This record gives sequence, C-alpha cells and structure tokens, in this order.
Amino acid sequence: MNDLRARIAQIVERDRTLQSKPGGVRGSEVGTDRNPLYAMADPPASGRYPIARGPSVRADGSVHPFEVREQRIAVDDLGLEIVGRGAADPLLLAHLGLKGDPPDRWQDVLFLDTETTGLSGGTGTYVFLIGVAHFAGEELILRQHLLLDLGAERAFIAALKTEIEPFRACASYNGKSFDLPIIRTRFVMAIRSELTIDDSHLDLLHPARRLWRNRFGSTSLRQLEESVLDDGRIADVPGWLIPDAYFHYLRKRDPAIIAPVLEHNARDVISLVRITDRVARAVAAARTGRAPDHAPAAFALARVFEHTGEMDAAFACYESAYYDGDNTLRAKLALAFARHLERRGEVERALRMMETLVELGLGSPRWREQAEARVRRLTRKRWRSALRTAS
Amino acid sequence: MRTAVRFPARVSLEQILDTLARDPDFKQLVTRWERVPPRRASYAEFPAWLDGRISATLRRRGILSLYSHQADALESAHAGKHTVVVTPTASGKTLCYDLPVIDAIAKDPSARALYIFPTKALAQDQLTELERLAKDVDIDLKTYTYDGDTPPAVRAAIRSAGHVVITNPDMLHTGILPHHTKWVKLFENLRYVVLDELHTYRGVFGSNVANVLRRLRRVCAFYGSHPVFICTSATIANPEELARRHVEDDVVVIDQSGAPRGEKVLVFVNPPVVNQSLGVRKSALFTGRDIAATLLASGVQTIAFTRSRVSTELLLTYLRARFPQPQWPHDLVRGYRGGYLPSERRAIERGLRDGSVRGVVSTNALELGIDIGALQAAVLIGYPGTVASTWQQMGRAGRREELSAAFLVATSLPVDQYVVQHPDYVLLRSPEAGLVNPDNLHLLVQHLKCGAFEIPFERKERFGTEDTPGVLSYLDEQGILHEADGRYHWSAQSFPAEGMSLRTATSDNVVVVDQTDGKQRVIGEIDRFGAPLTLHEQAIYLHEGRQLQVERLDWENAKAYVREVKVDYYTQAGESVRIRVLDEFARQDSARFGRAHGEVLVSAIATIYKKLTMYTHENIGWGKIHIPEQELQTTSFWLSLAEHATAGWPRERVEVALAGLGNLLHGLAPLLLMCDPHDLGLAVEVRSPHTELPTVYLFDMTPGGVGFSERLFKWTDALLERAREHLDSCGCGTGCPSCVGPAHALGHDVREAVADLLSLR
Repeated sequence: MNDLRARIAQIVERDRTLQSKPGGVRGSEVGTDRNPLYAMADPPASGRYPIARGPSVRADGSVHPFEVREQRIAVDDLGLEIVGRGAADPLLLAHLGLKGDPPDRWQDVLFLDTETTGLSGGTGTYVFLIGVAHFAGEELILRQHLLLDLGAERAFIAALKTEIEPFRACASYNGKSFDLPIIRTRFVMAIRSELTIDDSHLDLLHPARRLWRNRFGSTSLRQLEESVLDDGRIADVPGWLIPDAYFHYLRKRDPAIIAPVLEHNARDVISLVRITDRVARAVAAARTGRAPDHAPAAFALARVFEHTGEMDAAFACYESAYYDGDNTLRAKLALAFARHLERRGEVERALRMMETLVELGLGSPRWREQAEARVRRLTRKRWRSALRTAS
Repeated sequence: MRTAVRFPARVSLEQILDTLARDPDFKQLVTRWERVPPRRASYAEFPAWLDGRISATLRRRGILSLYSHQADALESAHAGKHTVVVTPTASGKTLCYDLPVIDAIAKDPSARALYIFPTKALAQDQLTELERLAKDVDIDLKTYTYDGDTPPAVRAAIRSAGHVVITNPDMLHTGILPHHTKWVKLFENLRYVVLDELHTYRGVFGSNVANVLRRLRRVCAFYGSHPVFICTSATIANPEELARRHVEDDVVVIDQSGAPRGEKVLVFVNPPVVNQSLGVRKSALFTGRDIAATLLASGVQTIAFTRSRVSTELLLTYLRARFPQPQWPHDLVRGYRGGYLPSERRAIERGLRDGSVRGVVSTNALELGIDIGALQAAVLIGYPGTVASTWQQMGRAGRREELSAAFLVATSLPVDQYVVQHPDYVLLRSPEAGLVNPDNLHLLVQHLKCGAFEIPFERKERFGTEDTPGVLSYLDEQGILHEADGRYHWSAQSFPAEGMSLRTATSDNVVVVDQTDGKQRVIGEIDRFGAPLTLHEQAIYLHEGRQLQVERLDWENAKAYVREVKVDYYTQAGESVRIRVLDEFARQDSARFGRAHGEVLVSAIATIYKKLTMYTHENIGWGKIHIPEQELQTTSFWLSLAEHATAGWPRERVEVALAGLGNLLHGLAPLLLMCDPHDLGLAVEVRSPHTELPTVYLFDMTPGGVGFSERLFKWTDALLERAREHLDSCGCGTGCPSCVGPAHALGHDVREAVADLLSLR
C-alpha cells in the first residue's frame, strides 16, 4: 500500500494545479513569501491616528485567545461638524441610507468594519478582526477585536455580542451585502445566536455613491479618503492580501505581520465616521439652499429630498442640477423639476424649459412623448390662468 | 377545430400480438416471447396514527386503502427507521415518502423535510404533486424547489419558510451546505430526508453523493437533528448495501410490492444479420420503427425509447413519414426528450390522456418517474444499459390492470447481443449492483475540505473509513486547514465546493469545440486520459453521426478544435499501455485462470494513427501522434491465463486469444457493474511483468476507482460464465464486434482461440 500521505499529496497537488489555471479558482490557499506584505519589516507609522501596538503573546508564552485594543480620539481632531454632535436627526439618517427605526442619539450608533479570511462568504469564512467605534462625550472610542486563534472564536464572538448589544443601530460601508451577512454567519456558527444590530443600519455605500459616483473614478472608501477628505493613505495593505496575511500570522505568530492589518482596519472605521459626516454636511448644506456643485449629486439628492418630503431642499437641488448639468441630465430631471416649478406657481418658467428641451430634440421617443404632453398641459394651464386674469 | 382521431382499423392489442406471433418473418427475429401473468393487489389499512385529514383526503380521491408496501414503508419511517422502498415503476412510491412527511408537518408545523432528486425535471414534477396533495388535505405546507433556477429574490423566503425543500445533490453540495447558517430552521427541524431514485447514485456520481450526505449529516448533527432517510430505488441486486453506504446506518428494505399489475407480454427482438462476415445487423432503429408503426397504425398508444437525442429525432422523422398528413393528424407522434420545457411536457401528457397523441418517442428522460399516464406498448430501441432501466422503460406501458406489451430491439453492441440472446438475464432476478466507493481517497479529500469549510473537524472525528486524522493533519501542514484548540479550521480563501463537480471524478476533461460555420460550440467532453486516442490532431471524431476532423489539439488548455468533414475513412489510434501493479489486494488461482485485484499505475502513450476506409477497412495512410504520456493511478482487476491453458500454442495465437478475451470481458463487464463501457479501461499483456503470464486488465477509469475491480474479482466466475454463454450463442462465424471483436482486424482464428481458452470446445 502506498504511503497515504504521498497519495494525498498527489491529489492536493493536482487540485492546486487545476485551480491555478486561468479561469480556475484563484490559487491563494497558502500564503507565500511573495506576498509583499511580509517584506515590510517594520510597518510604516500610522498617519494621523497613532495606534497602540499591544503584545499578543503573554509573558508565559501562551497566546491570548483574542484581544481588544482601544483608542480614544477627540471629536475635534476628526474634523466632524454634524456626526457625533447633538442629536441625530431622523430625516438626516434617512439620507445616510438608514433602513429601520432611527436611533435618537449618535451615541446609539455603532460604526463597524470587519476583516475576514475570504471574500466569498459561506460558513468557512471567518471574521478575525472587527473594528467598532462609538461616540462617548467628546470622544470617539475605537475598539478593535482581534481573534488570535481560530479555536477561540466562541469567546471572541461572545465578547463581540456584549460589545454590540447596547447599540440601537450600526453604520458600515457596504456592510449590508458584506460585513453583516458574515457576522451573522459567525454568530450562528460560534454561539448559535441571532444578530439584530442591523435592524437599523446605515450603509454609507449608497449615499456615498449618490454624491460621488462618476466623480473620482471609484467610490471605494480609500478613494473617498483621498478625494473627499484629502487624507490619502501612504502605505496600506491591499484588501485582497489581508486573508493571506492573517493565515501567515496564525502560523508565525509575529505581531508585525498583523499590525498593518490593524492599522488598515482602524483607518477604515475612522474614515467611515468622517465620510458619514461629509455626507451629512452635504445634506445639511442642500437644506439651506446650497446644493452640491456636482450636478449628478445634486440630482440624486433632490430625489431623496422628494422622498423625505423636504420639497424646498429638493427644489434647490433640482435647480442647481439643472443649471450645472449637461443636456442629458437636464432631460432626465426636467419632468420632475417642472412639477416643482409648477407647484411653486412658476408655470411660465416650466413651460419655457420644457419647450426648449423638446426643441433641442433630446431624450428617448418615450421621453419626448411625455415632454410634449407636459408642454400641452402647461400651455392649457397658462391659457386658463390668463383667461381667469382677463375675466 | 380538431376532429377526433379516427383510425381505419381499431384492433385490440391482443389481436396485434396474435398477428405478430404468427407472422413468420417477425417470428424469425424473436428470441423470446414471454407472458408475465397479472398480479393482484395486496392492500393494507391506513395506519391508525395517520392524521385524519390525510386519510379523509385520500378516500375522497378514491384511495380507500394503501398497497401493502406503502403501509410497510409508512410504519417503518414513522418508527424512525431508515427505509428503502424497492418496487416496480408505477407502484405508488411517491406516497411512501409524501405521507410520512405530510403527516409530520400536519402534526407539527415546525417540522421540515428535504427531498433530493437526481435531476431538476423530476423535482418540478414532485413539487406539483406534493402541493396538490397538501392543498387537498388543507394543511399549510409550503413546498419549494431550490436549485440553480431559483430566483435570488425568493431564496430567503424558502430558507426560512419552506416546509419541504426540493433540491438536487449538486445544489446541496454548492448552494446549501456551505451556507447552512442561512438554513437554521431547516436543519434544526429536519425530520425526513427523501432520496428518490437511489439506484442512480452509483459510480463516481454516487460516491460523491455519499460524501455529500456525510456532510449533510454533520450539519444536521451540528443543529441537533437526526433525520430519517426514506429512499426509493429501482430493482437492483443490492439495494440494502447501496442504501447503507449512502445512509451509513441500518436500513429497512421493503421490496414486496403490493401494487397490482396487468398481464404483460415481453418480446425480445434481434434484427436480422445483413453482413455475415462483419457481423453487422439491420439497424435496430429500422426494426423498432416497423414495430412501433404497426402498433400505432392499429391505435395502440405506444412509447418508443432510444438511447440518444439524435436517434429520437431520427425515429420521430421515420414515424411521421409513415403517417403523412393530412390523413393523419400532425401530432399523432410526439418527441419527448431532456430539454423540453415543462409546458411542452404537460401538453404532451395531456394529449396522451385525451387520446390526441398516440405515440411518444423519448430518450431516457422519461425513465425516471415522470408521470406520463398509461400507455399500452413500449418499444425499446437498444438495451438501455441496465436491467433496472429496462424494467423502468418497459414499465411505462401498462400502468393499469390490463394487457400491455414491451419490445426490446437489440443493436449490434456486445451487451445488447448478450441480453437478446439470454433474455433470462433480464427476466430473472437482477444480478446487477449499484456500486459506490465513498472512501475513494481522491473524492474523500475533496469532500473533507468542503466539510471543514462547513464545520471545523474535531481532531478525532471520522469522515468515512479512511484515516481521517491522517488526512486532516496533512491538510493542516499544507496550510489548507489550521488546527486550533483541537479542531481543524478551514484556513484558505477559496471556496472548496466551487468548481468541484459531483458528476465527474476530476474537472480534468478535454473539451471538444466545433468550429464548423465559424462559430465555436462545445459539443462534448472526453476525459483527459482517453483523449489522446480520439482527439489527436487529424483524428476523425464521430459525433451524432457527423464526421468531424480534429484541426488543433490544445493540450495545455484541454481543448480540441474540430470541423465537420465528409470523408470515406475513419481513424484508429494505436497506443502503448503499460500497467504497473503497485499493490495486490487479493489473489485467487484456479486451474485455468488466476484472478486478482489491486492498485495499479496505468501509463498510456498514443503512438500512431491509421486511416482506414469505411467499408473495406483498408489502410490508406498513417501519422504520428505527439501527446505526452498519460498516467492514471487507479484500481484494476486482472485475469491471467495459467501456463497449461495455452501450452503448446504459438505466441501469435496467445496474442489473438488474449485480445479477443479482453474485448469479450470488457464488453460484458458493464452488465454486472451497472456502468457505462467507457467507465472501464482494457489492457492486455502477453507476458505481464507482474504475473509473468498472459494477462487481461480491466481497470477503473476513475482515479482511485469506485469499486468495479473488487466486484469483478468477486464475480469472476459469473463474468466468465456470461462470456461462455455469449460466445456460444453469438451468430457470427469467426468473431464480430458484438463478441470477441472483428476477425478481420484481430485474426481469423480469434473466436476459436477464445473458445478454447474458455474451454467451450
């Protein structure tokens, strides 16, 4: 009988060659030293927010099953204007992508971001690092739970559950389709428990897309840090290397391997808070009549304002988008904008706008049909009102 | 408006059979005319524990009692015993599992059941039936199919609310088990798992499914449920063994059918020989067409089965030509094969019921329990490959208590010729067995990875019978798993179930790409080991009756590009096969033969190919083949000839006899193994380095093997006995493709030499 191990080796080797074929599964089962991350002997010092680097091995040599690192950052240092200050405004939260009941205070919202052992989800993908942040007084408290040993997942998740429980809502960047489903899976796997924090969930991905889509090339958190916050990362672990870094760390137990990942995660959470504030500021400015100067963003905001019933803000955004936008965007928003003009009694202006657009020959045939019908209706309305004035 | 179909002469089936039996031309072709007597029903009361609403509904439907086997199955399942029901087609198997499931849900709405069907089409039919029954019983029972076609929007609802989830093994493997945390309700409350058509879970597919079920049981145990398995199977020799390997626990076998059966006439037909020297017979398709046309012309509702899609289309064309419009309605005969939409299938089924459709030509899509109503006659063009399928197809005729007929028309294939000349093989109890080898290391390692992804393995946990801890610690060293706190965790980014097919042992196949008409279309796949022989450059590859020439073989990327050609030759590649015996598991010698099985390394290198003319087989050219040597580590059975069996023979005669014996055994072994001829490889060595004797090897084409070789070792006597019978009765004089192989290619004394070996003379 052949040596069992040799035979398994053969089988495993064959699978690996199959998987590394183009079009196959990315052959990233084992971390290799080619991973540029491991070349970094000393991870670069963090940018603005220093991170305490605690030891992960106890004095007696045993490994902590998991550890929690905490840092406190003054709200003033974060440059926040709205988020974390005063009461949370339900209408504003709606703009921030809230699904579910609105929390009353910013202190009730837990900002979170996870690092996982894979991107495909499923029961074999672990959360090994979760950064959570909340406001307390004049400070933002960032706590990072790091799982040092997969065998300690139960204790890790139980501690996380305790951490999460006091909060009424969570905020994330793309958490709806990534972070929360994975955390939910881990809750079932580790402690057979349900997760309710995301009954109220602010997923900032969608509002951020509304404001900044097609503006900086992408709406990834890193891109927004650079373009919106003007605070780009100098050295950062690319997300796709993180799982391998963790597997490497599990074998080598070298804190230097995981430090850049902790740094990456801390930055993600903090940026999430700051981007939330930027979205909130854009909304607040639009309410006072200062719509975003980017026409597609103004248009997107206008629609949300319509949805929340803030008609003045919606009008301001439509108007701004109409004047800043190109003809395609104008055609897209004209019918709605005309309705606002009409409601405000500016029938003449609405009619002029629609007539101009129709003459320009814009839009799809279906749009033109609607636009022409609107012109006819507005013309009749103007005529009737002229008649009323005359009689 | 459609007028009722009127047939010129409405003759009863009895009369037609009578005429056929007395027709001297037809009589010559018949190798057996068997009358199977009717069987009376055996009834049993509804069990006392059955929910009153269910029995009331059944009574309303005219079902006043159960058949005995249904009642047995209900009792067994209700008592919490794993059960396998082995009864003929149309014996009401569905109720055997539907009733325990509906009863459980009627009494406890949180109870759940998982139905596993081998194909999607079956799942659809089952869904309709179960929903209808639940609606009549008036209980709130939500049934959903969950497969690749399920829209993402409704998946969440199915996961939490579906009482009965109907799926297939592939979806369970990639879609459900790796995401079991989304199915908490199902797994916590899983009462029954239904495995329908158990006999289809054999070979590589079955070995994979057995491992998927191991994973399913791990997940159930995680959530604290211990479901009862209810399986159904066609008649095979080893239902208990097969079920036990899938369920890995004691199983109650219920094989006494209580369903009634009408009288049945079974006719075995062998088309006439048209070329004595080549052993070529008239096409089974033509003979089958004549029989079907005779039946249809007399108004007998008939179903014809063919083995391929193309034959289905051909037969349909032939039959329609026999019944031209306008005197015959257009849809007198309908085609029915895999790929038809449910609505088309329903239309055909409706047509059969109201009589507007008189005939159906089908591939084996219909074999698996789809309800197409009662037909009077079945015509099987070609032996379906297994006795189980033969009975299932024959069972399509005569679902009521009246006379029915089934005709089996043989092709020239060895297996067909054996069966038509030895009808008892089909008529007596089935000797064929469903074989699986879930512990095939290749498959086991794959599923172990999937299992670790689903739930970490405990250090001492067993998964199958191989050395689980050994495999786990190896995978740990490789960094694929990570041991922590006594458990092995999945520690890789990839998703192990993805890209791993249950239907083949490796994903390593060469794809055949047809680029006729400038478009690229994948028309087939050949396992990499066998590909050099059929897909070398310049090879003529036959596909659905078309000739395609291989223009380019991209070996690296496993693609063969072919284009349609019209030539009057075919190609035949020669290869040199070496077999190295790595380990002999068992050996037994008798007077004339030595038999053994064990692990082997097969190395094959394709050398040259010849161009041979179509009818005269003249050599008109040759070429070299440049493809690297292929290796296959697998299990093999081998049979060696004792020294005195060939004492005094010239070497050439030994060679010829050995080649002939190899062909004969290779042709007949699938009869015993319920496998396709391509699942077994053949090699002969006039002097084997291992046995030092002339030796025939029959090896498993699946890396690692799925159990064929061990079974052949156990059943060598049965195999040799079939070989003797077959050779004795084959109509050819000197050897033909239906027995030892064509004499013109092997040598003119091939048949005689093999007969000598088998001591037929």
